Amino acid sequence: MGKRLVDFSIARPKLIIALTLLLTALFAIQLPKITTDTDPKNMLPITSPVRQYNDQVERWFGLHADVLVLGIQHEAGLFNPESLGKIARITEEILKIRGVIARDVISLPTVDDVTVAGDLLRAQPLLADVPGTALEAETFRKRVMTNRLLLDRLVSRDGKMAAIYIPIDKGVSGKAIADQLRGILDRTGGPEKFYLAGDPMVRDTFGVAMFQQMGLFSPIAGMVMLVVLFLMFRNWILVFANMAVAMLSIIWSMGLFIGLGVPIHIMASMSPLFLMAISTDTVHIFNEFAFRFKELGTKEEAIRETMRTVSTPVFYSDLTTTAGFASLAIGPIIPVRIFGLLVAFGTLVILLMSFTVVPAMMALMREERLATLSAKNDLQEDTVSRWLLKLGRLSLHRRKAIVLVGLILVLVSLWGLQRIRVNNNMVHWFKPDSVIRRADRILNERLGGTATLYLVATAQAEGAMTDPQVLRHIEGVQRYLEGHGLVGNTLSVADYVRRVNRVLHRDDPNFEVIPDSRESIAQYLLLLSMAAKPRDLNSVVDYPYQKANIFVHLRSWDAVDARRLLTDVQKHIASHPLSGVEYTPAGIAYFNMVWNDEVLVGMLSGFILSSIMVFFLIALSFRSLRWGVVSFLPLLFTILLIYGVVGFVRKDFDMPISVLSTLSLGMAIDFAIHFVSRFRQRFRETPDLDAVLLWTVTRPGKGILRNALLFGLGFSPMIFSALTPYITVGVFMMAIMFLSAGVTIIYLPALISMWQGWLIKGTRERLP
Amino acid sequence: MRTRNTNGLGLLWLFALLSLAIPSAEGAEKIGAEEVMKRAYLAEYYPGDDMKAKVLMRLVSGDGKERIREMSMLRKDLQEGGEQRYFIYFHRPPDVREMTFMVWKYPRRNADRWLFIPALKLVRRIAADDKRSSFVGSDFSYEDISGRGVEEDVHQLVREERLDGREVYVVESRPREARGTEFSRKLSWIDKTTFLPLKEEYYDTRGDLYKVFSADELKEIQGFWTITRRTMKNVQTGHRTEATFQEVRYNLKLSDTLFTERYLRAPPAEVR
Repeated sequence: MGKRLVDFSIARPKLIIALTLLLTALFAIQLPKITTDTDPKNMLPITSPVRQYNDQVERWFGLHADVLVLGIQHEAGLFNPESLGKIARITEEILKIRGVIARDVISLPTVDDVTVAGDLLRAQPLLADVPGTALEAETFRKRVMTNRLLLDRLVSRDGKMAAIYIPIDKGVSGKAIADQLRGILDRTGGPEKFYLAGDPMVRDTFGVAMFQQMGLFSPIAGMVMLVVLFLMFRNWILVFANMAVAMLSIIWSMGLFIGLGVPIHIMASMSPLFLMAISTDTVHIFNEFAFRFKELGTKEEAIRETMRTVSTPVFYSDLTTTAGFASLAIGPIIPVRIFGLLVAFGTLVILLMSFTVVPAMMALMREERLATLSAKNDLQEDTVSRWLLKLGRLSLHRRKAIVLVGLILVLVSLWGLQRIRVNNNMVHWFKPDSVIRRADRILNERLGGTATLYLVATAQAEGAMTDPQVLRHIEGVQRYLEGHGLVGNTLSVADYVRRVNRVLHRDDPNFEVIPDSRESIAQYLLLLSMAAKPRDLNSVVDYPYQKANIFVHLRSWDAVDARRLLTDVQKHIASHPLSGVEYTPAGIAYFNMVWNDEVLVGMLSGFILSSIMVFFLIALSFRSLRWGVVSFLPLLFTILLIYGVVGFVRKDFDMPISVLSTLSLGMAIDFAIHFVSRFRQRFRETPDLDAVLLWTVTRPGKGILRNALLFGLGFSPMIFSALTPYITVGVFMMAIMFLSAGVTIIYLPALISMWQGWLIKGTRERLP
Repeated sequence: MRTRNTNGLGLLWLFALLSLAIPSAEGAEKIGAEEVMKRAYLAEYYPGDDMKAKVLMRLVSGDGKERIREMSMLRKDLQEGGEQRYFIYFHRPPDVREMTFMVWKYPRRNADRWLFIPALKLVRRIAADDKRSSFVGSDFSYEDISGRGVEEDVHQLVREERLDGREVYVVESRPREARGTEFSRKLSWIDKTTFLPLKEEYYDTRGDLYKVFSADELKEIQGFWTITRRTMKNVQTGHRTEATFQEVRYNLKLSDTLFTERYLRAPPAEVR
């Protein structure tokens, strides 16, 4: 099939190119319809239990999924008329921003406070009137500092930091709101410093930045590859053909998915880079063509011969890549599925191009230009091939030592592998010195914490939350949480009840306890609903008084930290149980934890599945299980080494790394496929093992090296990215390429030579 | 407990009273927006010299969860259109039974409120802002329950139309003092015959609709048209409160002494 297609392409190159351009235009006109989705929450379908439960909890307590935190800091203390006035003005401005849920903004001027003077309870916004003098400001400070409902949440204990909690509507970009907030803050001026944090801003800023960085680094990677290709082949048509394959596959696959109305998620936005990387596989065609043309002298013959020898490895290496990505479609996570299918489709396009457009373009090249190509190629060959030859000899003569070194590396890697920490922390997707990360760090140091967790206490009967025993239990859980290093502060209905009890007893601190009778609590709650905003109370206790919500502010966005806290608190509750009351977690910190697990486990199972598929595909391509095993070993070795290093340097196994693992599989196996398949072809013709191995190291080996170099250099600019996942992608890609090229060139000759009896004698009958 | 004088407003209210007393030929006269709102104020908040009703409030959250407040409400006017006293006795939920609540309402300044907490046998005076404080956790603010001074807003007659088969004035009111007022604009549909509001729309400071009031049932009781069922819905949160007035009686000749702290602690049978 491939041969006929190639023959047709060589015979009618212009028709093939015209047809390709027409199809490309069809896909390209779909591109402007692009819709994007940057919310990592959508990684899990709306029907997933954790999302459903989270939504339910939000409905029970009237909570908002997306909340921004603005920190206002003044090192000399905020309790002075100017700073307080500034907080009041900023709050007023915030309330006007569209998309902000004004009624639930929590800030000093909006939060209700009940104070007591004799028999009079005064309910009013905490900062109803800005103090005019330093003395009044000091009185105000004392008032705030004795209120447990405010401390650590709205104001830091040292009085230098205040917070404004800004809930925003669903579907509104956290970044857009944050940008408007920054506009307000820029106009404010003065000695105060401002810090913005919160999940919606982090994720939407990341989403926007991700697409920006993609737009920046895809062309840069393309340019670098262009230059490297030219330095390798010194022929613009060859260079252009190679780049064209990448572009076409990107346009076709993106065009198809956009045309089908699929939103482009953060993950799928990475696919152009991936396709560019995969398309470097066509280098093997050009590499072989350069050799063939020099040997045969006629262009058409060279093309035919090239395609005859490389078609099998190209076919199978692209097929394994396709299988690797397509297997992601089996997982439960929709954006991962889309990403897998998109790249798999793009890879099939590359495969199709390799058999049509590539030979067609080579057929269109003029022979006199090619002469220079080969001449220059010769010069290169002398140094690179000689160096490769030396390497090949080393690996054949010192095969035992080399294998021993490999085994030691495997052991070290296995040890590193154990140290791998599966974790995700979106704030850490920004660089440590970035504005976002600094703000998050400072707010976490000074205030209760920027990550919110809800712990929902559910009783069996309605009205249970007016039972003193239940409230005291909730209080106990809160004290436990607050003693845990990860928790900044907590807030529950128990705090409100205790506060009312104190206020009703003329602000006597001794009465800041849960009262003894059910009636007292019920009556306090009614009083609260008359004196404060009812919604404040509704956010901590549900309507039938059957469920209570504990707000837990965490100082870390790490998924592992959320898990540690939840495990510890469940243990505490199990050892101090109250019959009839159960506690379940919810909220963004919990969601991130579950999301982390599901996405990473989904990726991991996809990875294992695609490993198995890739193994069977190579075994099938070689019609031999043993050759399959040998080809699979360099892949396994590369992956072990890389993850060993990941564990060794304590880099978290997070979302970007898990995405890359699937790529590593498809890419790393390619070199082995090329190596083994070319070796076996050659061995059939001249059965001299050492000579054929050395030939394979120097000739297809050069293609492998070129591929690795092209690929690695193409990704090198990403090291300078502003987002850490991109840096990870750049480093990881280079590592995969150079490692798997090196492992293939060094270890395959040694292994084949060592196991020749098992490999070749055992399969001799099948070798013609 | 102190009694307070109210001066200054007398003339205004007298005028309002007089204008109400003059019978109007239907459709023959054109009256101003201010006038419509004054009559509406009196029709809604001052019918009779006093009143007693059993009020059932259903507080319904956005996801359909309910809280019930059942109370007896007594009202006595000291002056038509002026000072008023309210006494509220809670029946339900059972945990708050015997809680009592008293309001002394003054035109142009925040009301005084006293709450008796039976669990502590304690009376506390509560000072809170009428404009933003919720009435017992419902969507009604104190202002919605006891009325907002007509002079606090600038009124404009937008149009006259029919609403559910009734002729109405549609009046737009904007607060004179934006600070401290939750709404930036209010539209009222005032029934031309009863001068009761049939519907009200409240717009927040950003100009978005946030609260809608509707009079769901009107009854003539002892010659006074009374809204016996009303709903206030917060369209932004989905939360709503339905209030039903039962056993409404007017002109019971309630005594002034009923509205004192002594009865707050030990309410007589007639208020329950």
